[in-house]
Amino acid sequence: MSAVLTSNTTAAPIHQASPGLWTLAWRRLKRDKVGMISLVVVAFFLLMIVGSYTGLIARNWSKEVGVSYANPSFLAGAVNLEAAKTESREGAAKIPYVDLSDIDPLAPRYKEWEERTAKIKVTETPRSETLLFGGDKWGRDVLQKAIKGAQTSIFVGLFAALIATIIGTTLGALSGYLGGRVGDLMEWFYNVFSSIPYILLILAFAAVFASSPAMADFRGVPMVIAILGLTGWTGIYRLIRAEFIKHGSREYVKAAEAIGASHGRRMFVHILPNVSHVCLVQLSQHVVQFIKAEVILSYLGLGVPVDAVSWGTMLAEAQSELVIGKWWQLAAAGISMAILVTAFSMLTDSLRDALDPKIK
Amino acid sequence: MRWQVRKSPHDWVTLLFAIFALLALQPATLAHAAEKKTLKIAFRAAETGFDPQKIEDRYSVGICENIFDSLITYDWLARPVKLVPQIVEAVPTGEEGGTRFTFRIRPGIYFADDPIFKGKRRELVARDMEYAIKRFRDPANRSPYSWLFEDRVVGLDEFVAAAKKSGKYDYDVPVAGLKVIDKYTISFKLKEPDYTFIYFFAMPNVVPVAREAIEGYASDTMGHPVGTGPYVLKEWVRRSKIVLEKNPDYRGHVLNAQYADPADPWDQEAIKYLGRKTLPLIDRIEISPIEEEQPRFLAFMNREHEYIEETPFAFVPQLLPNGKLSPEMQKRNMRVFREEAPETTWDVFNLDDTVVGGYQSQNIGFRRALVLAHDREQEIAIVRRGQALAAQSPVPPGIIGFDPTFHAIEQEYNPARAKALLDMFGYIDKDGDGWRDLPSGAPLKLTYKYRANEESARQQAELWAKCLADVGIRMEAIAVQFADLLKDRKVGKYQMSGIAWTADYPDAQNFLQLLYGPNTNISNDARFKLPEYDRLYTQALKIPDSPERDQLYREMNRIIIVYAPWRLGVHRIFNHFINQWVLGYKKHPILFTSFKYLDIDAAAQKAGMQQ
Amino acid sequence: MGAYIVRRLWQMIPTLLGVVLLIFFLFNWVGGDPALVLAGKITNAEQIENIRKQLGVDQPYWYQLWVFIKQIVTFDFGRSWATNEAVSNILITRVGPTLTIMIPVLLLETIIGVILAIGVAYVRGTLTDRITMMICTVAMSISFLVYIIVAQYIFGFQLGWFPVQGWSDSFTKNIVTYAPLPILLAVFVSLAPSLRLYRSFFLDEVNQDYVRTARAKGLSEKTVMMKHVLRNAMIPILTNVGISLPGIFVGSFLLETFFSIPGLGREILTAVNRSDFPVIKAATVYLAVVTMVVNLAVDVLYKAVDPRVVLK
Repeated sequence: MSAVLTSNTTAAPIHQASPGLWTLAWRRLKRDKVGMISLVVVAFFLLMIVGSYTGLIARNWSKEVGVSYANPSFLAGAVNLEAAKTESREGAAKIPYVDLSDIDPLAPRYKEWEERTAKIKVTETPRSETLLFGGDKWGRDVLQKAIKGAQTSIFVGLFAALIATIIGTTLGALSGYLGGRVGDLMEWFYNVFSSIPYILLILAFAAVFASSPAMADFRGVPMVIAILGLTGWTGIYRLIRAEFIKHGSREYVKAAEAIGASHGRRMFVHILPNVSHVCLVQLSQHVVQFIKAEVILSYLGLGVPVDAVSWGTMLAEAQSELVIGKWWQLAAAGISMAILVTAFSMLTDSLRDALDPKIK
Repeated sequence: MRWQVRKSPHDWVTLLFAIFALLALQPATLAHAAEKKTLKIAFRAAETGFDPQKIEDRYSVGICENIFDSLITYDWLARPVKLVPQIVEAVPTGEEGGTRFTFRIRPGIYFADDPIFKGKRRELVARDMEYAIKRFRDPANRSPYSWLFEDRVVGLDEFVAAAKKSGKYDYDVPVAGLKVIDKYTISFKLKEPDYTFIYFFAMPNVVPVAREAIEGYASDTMGHPVGTGPYVLKEWVRRSKIVLEKNPDYRGHVLNAQYADPADPWDQEAIKYLGRKTLPLIDRIEISPIEEEQPRFLAFMNREHEYIEETPFAFVPQLLPNGKLSPEMQKRNMRVFREEAPETTWDVFNLDDTVVGGYQSQNIGFRRALVLAHDREQEIAIVRRGQALAAQSPVPPGIIGFDPTFHAIEQEYNPARAKALLDMFGYIDKDGDGWRDLPSGAPLKLTYKYRANEESARQQAELWAKCLADVGIRMEAIAVQFADLLKDRKVGKYQMSGIAWTADYPDAQNFLQLLYGPNTNISNDARFKLPEYDRLYTQALKIPDSPERDQLYREMNRIIIVYAPWRLGVHRIFNHFINQWVLGYKKHPILFTSFKYLDIDAAAQKAGMQQ
Repeated sequence: MGAYIVRRLWQMIPTLLGVVLLIFFLFNWVGGDPALVLAGKITNAEQIENIRKQLGVDQPYWYQLWVFIKQIVTFDFGRSWATNEAVSNILITRVGPTLTIMIPVLLLETIIGVILAIGVAYVRGTLTDRITMMICTVAMSISFLVYIIVAQYIFGFQLGWFPVQGWSDSFTKNIVTYAPLPILLAVFVSLAPSLRLYRSFFLDEVNQDYVRTARAKGLSEKTVMMKHVLRNAMIPILTNVGISLPGIFVGSFLLETFFSIPGLGREILTAVNRSDFPVIKAATVYLAVVTMVVNLAVDVLYKAVDPRVVLK
């Protein structure tokens, strides 16, 4: 019994407290050990992506510094069949090249071409047999890839969640607060979106972005963000709408109406701050959800472009690597993603508990 | 009290574990018919159906190989491939200067028994072939292979045009160039000489069909193939399972050892096990399409399948280190059949594009620079895991017209030469952003479209982006769904893209037509139009295989190298791994399946599968 | 009640219309040209024109839309463009395997989820509770793709406990041999979030006044949990099950592709790849209808379970 009650002692009715909701929440969060550890982990990841964004770390992730599937340094010396030189076709090199000069429009400039070529130096960088946490099939450093991948994945997750939260909150607020015709329209819109299988929605949106010329400047990472954000707002809409219905009839809103506050003011200045904790929790839940969804997009080949790397593309690439014993890319992407997502989820839990102490 | 309650969640956990354990212990049983020789394999992709005139994908056509009989076929062991009669008396040579081909079907070839024949035996006649050819052009069938008989056979185009006008495609109206001379004889008359025409009749979908079967099953001809071949379709769960069983009415065939290579162990084994036996020997074949690489490979390694064809490249270095079977594979008594596939991959440039297209020296120089910048050795080593040969011309080895001495420096990776060429034509960095610009000063950014959800296509795009960046050119790779990619390529809405082509028939012409000017919007995705090339192409059609024709092919190949509408890719090498109990295995380069010439040691199979 | 149901059914029409419009717009505006997929590798303009005509995609958009609506009303979506198979037949044959996987998943997930949730709710705040929740969070944070790849390799291949992949015609064989690994994987992935959610439902109830009253009456904690808390928490739990119910018809295309299960998810993916519009249309409409009907059923059921709920 006592164990039950201890978790409840921190609960204090919000309206009685003189410090604001956020100050109180922060105080509660600071007391939550798991929450704080998670916060540190998340902060570490954020720091890391700032570092990689500014080019302090993992700048050379795309450089091919090792042999194909270079061993991790703790497995140095293990047999690496993938790096073995494949025997080139004997004989082919001995055959003289076919003469093209009689039909080649470039023939008059062969000499100039040759001279220019001679002046260009080509340096070949040596490739290392081992890398700290192993190499991928091109010989790129998996650890650096995982760091750079973190940047892309977290970036995608954050911004997609932001878009989804903004859409969900705006529509939910309009629908819940105004009700009536507008509410019906929003409900219709929501019903339409949630009735179509998610996978079809995603593929359809991806097709829009990939083949419409109007979206040409919008491809790549922004496309991934847009696909996830535009298809993932329905859950947030549902919750925010319910909150706005609840708050719409509260006294403080009525009071605001009495002093002549406009609808817009009442919705976004008066009610929104009171439901913002719901938004925040939803936001962070969706970050996690979208980081995971990005993996599926990458699996479908609709992920980030080839000059970028994300955890999703790493996992999609690593599909066949486990079977051939090159487990490190799968592990690097899988584990770093698991750590971040775990920390982020736990932080979300702590945040929810801190913001809404009734639930524990 | 408290203790008791505290314990109960633990009980649930125990119970749960028990349930999980029970589920987990279910053994992976595999049913086997003891008395029948059963072959189980996987296809790499799903089939579409088995109406020979309506299909194109190699998996569906591969099944048709076993259900239907083409008039002629390839000798199973002869290399290079050789045409031999299958259900006709002889392989016709082009008479009347290569414009007339006459086939005489052997009497006494019967269709497999089917309810549609109402218990009567149905003999194959020349009319069935005539009907099948007309089906290729019937708009209702929207046959992907209608091009085989377009603008070739005398009177056929007029027949189709008339049918279109009247709105009725009447199969009973005779066509002059498609003449049924008697019950068993059919004669084709062509408008122009075309010595490649004969190969069409060895294609497993250019096969006679029974009109009453097609009309009787009109609503679902894809699911009711009725043929004269060694197998019948026993069961079909679409895109999940195909079951073939021996056709009890089949006349039987034997292995021809005449052209076997005495030094080839596979040939010798085929002769040893299949010898003079009446084939086929396998009673039942079960095929399931598995699109993912990991499950297809693991299912084979788990002894769920008899052999695995076209083993995913990623797994090959482990199975064949230094080209030899790994100790693990040796322990399993596994064997490997390596096949240089009659196919070519390449990256195509859109010649109508303002940036990569054009026929001026500057345009040619730019494309040639892109070709030189592309590190093909790395493509072979990394993307293909060493399982490919660098292509020197569009024509793959094993194809008639392949020239082993043809070898051009302009397709050899050389970034220094590429840079020099770009500098020479003024593709230099003008605005100082670190990337080269167009000679006009406008920024240069290429796009490369590739097929989404195909990992090797993505890797190829990755390689291009990297190689071009190395010479200072910016490239964006766009993943597109298959259908969109086809559309963009057909209408020329792209700059660069990767393609592969597998031989329909073993003649260089099947590859060289891909750059024939009038084939733009048809199959010439490069939209390459060069009068000299077109002239050589039409000239080559008119002469049979000869050194004279080889010379023409060589000229065309030189033009391709100079004008660089393509960056030539590779000819892939496929590795087929075979369990020891599969006897007499051999893979034909043009035909897709091996079921007709195969045996199984049933006892060894049983023992092996149980391991 | 009857009037309510009628009104809800009536409201489905505009929603369905919206679904139709959205899907039609998305796939017609940008989708690939199905004629090109069908025409083959060597083709010409005439051939493509002919195919377009046969498919009806050469007609003006409003006419195609009208055809689409007619198809919905008559429940006849024609034949697949890619394989010429009747669309209704595709859907019927594919939904079986999907449900064979997904119904056990939903059942197991709910039952195990509720049992575990009530367990951890009972020992709330203890180390067991925290560790269980921690494991859940970690389990949730690993990508489904990783689970599938690793589990197929380890349990299917290395240990050989399950077949690597496969499917048969016999339901018993499927459920006994082929389905267990995919089912376990799906349960494992979906269990963690459900458990967390259900736990919070139980905790919501534990702090209610009626629970205190029951305790005050001297009822044992066990009785309170099983009799009072469980019954009341079942309402949000059932709602949650109701929400996830339509999803079981779509299934998981990841599981289906990796384990060769001929289900609906994989079929939809193939259809999009091939621009096989009849299949896409039919799948969308049927699934939308199923979603709406299931939602209605859940709402009605809700009323039956909890008389306080007002249907409006």
